Amino acid sequence: MSQGPGFTRRQFNTALAASGTLAALSPFGIARGQGSKLKVGVLLPRSGFQGFIGQSCQKGADLAPGVIKQLLGVDIELMNADTETNVDTARTRAERLIQEGAHVLVGPFDSGAASAIAQVAEQRGVPFVINIAAAPPITEQGYKFVFRNFPTAIDLTRNGLSLIGDLFRETKVAPRTAVFMHVNDTFGQAMFKGISAMLPGITNLPFKITETISYDPAAKDLTVEVSKAKAANADFLLLVCRLNDAIILRREMVKQRWNPMGIISPGSPGMYEEQFAKVLGKNGDYCISNAPWFNPKMNLTKVVDAAFRKQNPKEQFVFHGTNVAYTFESILIAADAFKRAKSTDPKALADAIRQTNITDRVALGGPIKFNAKGQVEGNLSACVQNLNGRPTVVLPLAAAEAKAVFPMPGYKG
Amino acid sequence: MNPRARLLLGALLAVLLLLPAFASNYVISVATLILYFAFTGQAWNVMMGFAGQLSLGHSLYVGVGAYVAAAMFVNLGIGPWLGLWVAILVCMALGAAIGFLAFRFGISGVYFALLTIAFAEFTRVGFDHLQWTGGSGGLFLKVAQREQMDLLNFRGPPAMYYYAILALAAGALALCAWLLRSRAGYYWQAIRENEEAAQALGINTFRYKMFAVLISSAMTAVSGVFFAFYYNNLFPEQIFHISRSIEIILGPIIGGIGTLFGPVLGAFVLTVLADGITELLALFGVEVPGVKQVFYGVVLLGVVMFLPNGIWPSLAKKIGVGK
Repeated sequence: MSQGPGFTRRQFNTALAASGTLAALSPFGIARGQGSKLKVGVLLPRSGFQGFIGQSCQKGADLAPGVIKQLLGVDIELMNADTETNVDTARTRAERLIQEGAHVLVGPFDSGAASAIAQVAEQRGVPFVINIAAAPPITEQGYKFVFRNFPTAIDLTRNGLSLIGDLFRETKVAPRTAVFMHVNDTFGQAMFKGISAMLPGITNLPFKITETISYDPAAKDLTVEVSKAKAANADFLLLVCRLNDAIILRREMVKQRWNPMGIISPGSPGMYEEQFAKVLGKNGDYCISNAPWFNPKMNLTKVVDAAFRKQNPKEQFVFHGTNVAYTFESILIAADAFKRAKSTDPKALADAIRQTNITDRVALGGPIKFNAKGQVEGNLSACVQNLNGRPTVVLPLAAAEAKAVFPMPGYKG
Repeated sequence: MNPRARLLLGALLAVLLLLPAFASNYVISVATLILYFAFTGQAWNVMMGFAGQLSLGHSLYVGVGAYVAAAMFVNLGIGPWLGLWVAILVCMALGAAIGFLAFRFGISGVYFALLTIAFAEFTRVGFDHLQWTGGSGGLFLKVAQREQMDLLNFRGPPAMYYYAILALAAGALALCAWLLRSRAGYYWQAIRENEEAAQALGINTFRYKMFAVLISSAMTAVSGVFFAFYYNNLFPEQIFHISRSIEIILGPIIGGIGTLFGPVLGAFVLTVLADGITELLALFGVEVPGVKQVFYGVVLLGVVMFLPNGIWPSLAKKIGVGK
């Protein structure tokens, strides 16, 4: 993966303001305006139970037209639609956007909604670039107009587990046992099954799971579960969590003075989120999450970060990074295809998307290239450790912002 | 039904039949959604509106109906026309189990509602773990770009689904009109108004309540099969969720519980006005996520306060047609 030169913040702010400088940094070069706009229909769950994440993704969409105009010279008109975390609405909103003239659809941070929109896109022959949705069958349907730049659930689990091996190798620590705690909702069960199936096949993971404890993500108290986990006397805690339970669990660990070598999530949300850091303060530090992430070393990330700060002065990019990165990239893919196709004809756009080869990107991974099924294969996860209240990339080394701290301070062995 | 009601119904049917000829795909998709909720609401109305049995877990029958037909199609290659009957039978068996448990042991009112929620919830958990139907990862039906109709496999363009759900909604309306005027319909209404009095008059309340549950579950199973083949993806978390049960019952509540046209009107009002308000705000450049939910709340509040019997009874009176 290529890395950009080390620009200072000031240099990047200047660069953002000056299109010539930006174009020089970009692999796309200076583009001529094409005289017409690319209308991008953005479908995100901005209300309902996924509303918070949908709004986070929307920030990536909102900054895309400005940044892409500088990068590619392409004019983008966003057509936003709220899927309301509902597949019925996702479908009708997609129809509506196409009727209003959307040339390409992006979104929708949900596999069910993605599948519903994919049908409309396929039926109407309009390209659909999925930003975030992990269900593998979406790109196994033989669709011609559906593209996904996000790892599948299988890749997510595999990437998350293999990063644990990398972490042990990098820190030269070899834990032998783990206690596995996971939420017992749909997501937690799916992760449990995936991890149980994959773990024996991954040779660089020398530890054994001595105890598996599932718990309710809505639990108000995890005293019993944490006592049980502590009694297992395992070297570290392998955790599949969500936000609220992760906070309760970590507080309970502090209360019960349980100091394992580390708390590692192989691919779940919770511990890298802003609320976790805010509520737990120092106790939230050193927790590790292996998740799809942005590459802090890439030039484009810095440009996007600057644009994000300009649009959201009170918020930190790092807490929206993945959502912003993948949503931004989905629009970038469409704009790049539009630039090459020189047309808004859906078929020409779809053909151009199929030929995508974007190397300078925001998300961590290889170049954005679609396989025959419309899936980008090289997307990676990062090992993200909370350090001084900030999720910090510690692996892979090429993208690392700091060295991994493992075992956690306080571990007595 | 008086002549004016016949005329209005005929006109409505004619408009709906001609809709795909002049409407855009978006309008067809919204109309499909309205008719879907009208049909499913009608199914729920048989149980609650006619027989007075409050179910808050109708997503159970939608989900099971959808999963049975879809899994047979995906895993066994059995088409939806056979799968539909299996789905109906399975849902009727589930309905019978719930009904028997409740009515045999005198569970009624909110306790019956809780029982229906419980069944929907543990079925969701079960499907989360059932690998044959894809587990929590979801079940996907193969989709391709289709302009040709494949009626045998119920695959085709949006207009095909529209006409299918129109036929179902019209059929459900006719069936419910007939049921309401049948002996069972009168018995249900007697049970709904005063079960003890109905029993004292010699009505076998257990039998007729079971009858209502069986018809309602069978109709909802059909709606589930439609859902599966229209949306082509099923996730236990979404289809069995209580929010789907609430979505189903909102139409009849707004339109008028126990009326024939209430579920249709309620589905129309909620879908069109919710979409309309989103469009209206967009027209003025206002983007307010969640406005639909707020609108739902306000409409519900308004209906409860000013039209406690729903919109249809007072509207029917004004335009001079029967309930």
